[in-house]
Amino acid sequence: MTSWVVRTLVCAGVMAAAVNVAAGDAEVTVRLFQFQPGETAIRAGTRVVWKNQDDIKHTVTAGVPGQQDGRFNLALPGKGATVSHEFTEPGVYRYFCDRHQSMRGEIKVN
Amino acid sequence: MNRMIVSVLGVAMVAALGVGCSQTMGGSAMAGASMTTSGTKAAGLRSALNNLLQEHVYLAAAATGAALDGRDAEFKAAAGALDQNSIAISKAIGSVYGTDAERAFLPLWRRHIGFAVDYTVGVASGDKTKADKAVGDLLGYTEDFGAFLASANPNLPKNVVAGLAKHHVVTLKDVIDAQASKDPAKAYMALRTAAGHMSMIADPLAEAIVKQFPDKFTG
Repeated sequence: MTSWVVRTLVCAGVMAAAVNVAAGDAEVTVRLFQFQPGETAIRAGTRVVWKNQDDIKHTVTAGVPGQQDGRFNLALPGKGATVSHEFTEPGVYRYFCDRHQSMRGEIKVN
Repeated sequence: MNRMIVSVLGVAMVAALGVGCSQTMGGSAMAGASMTTSGTKAAGLRSALNNLLQEHVYLAAAATGAALDGRDAEFKAAAGALDQNSIAISKAIGSVYGTDAERAFLPLWRRHIGFAVDYTVGVASGDKTKADKAVGDLLGYTEDFGAFLASANPNLPKNVVAGLAKHHVVTLKDVIDAQASKDPAKAYMALRTAAGHMSMIADPLAEAIVKQFPDKFTG
């Protein structure tokens, strides 16, 4: 019985770690070379999690092509990869994929 | 071809592609209409994709041939038509996977044409570094192309699609090399091979789409 409970808890822990999304997080899916949704509105202090569903490396790079603003530059090395960034200050944060620069997204922090 | 001509061609290529970008699908109605000209929707899809992808090769070769010969006006016309073909291919993708997918696919597809332009300019100017970089970029692009279609359709393994796209790159490179060496017989043989190869992409793509949406593409 005890081992069954332990196995269940371990399993649950592994699954939670793989998903890597907590309650209150905002999620952006990266699929078909698009950030979906392209625009996300959140409150300050919210963490945004990007999950790559394409079988290719993408990045989540702050700014616009040719004008990175240095706030964040996160690599999504392949399918299933997740990255996150917490937005603490209100504002509009544009980002793009540095490898496929037609991929653009925007986070509006209120 | 001297440096000045190469430079002019490079600018002209970019300008012509830019002009093409601003045009609409116009007379190229293959993406949607031809899907209904065959006996079944599945057969129509296969036929449309074959037509579009072979047209891509012929127009690309027309553009690179004109560029390498310094026929500027012809190059601009060919590049414009090539971009219309790119838009039509993207609309075909969009007709199956939606407008968001169409919008994402078009810049991806145009990107590989840009790399082919880079290769042509590199060959024309004798700039081996530029030509080699363009080949590397084209091969890298095939991975993107494979990943895009694999995301769209689980029946299309990324590595298989990327491999087929690599063959497209290699066969089109053969055409450009033959054009650059002023060997028309070799160039046209290579062109037939490159165009013929596109069925190796179009057919499995059509089959995978039919398998994914059997109700939409009957027959």
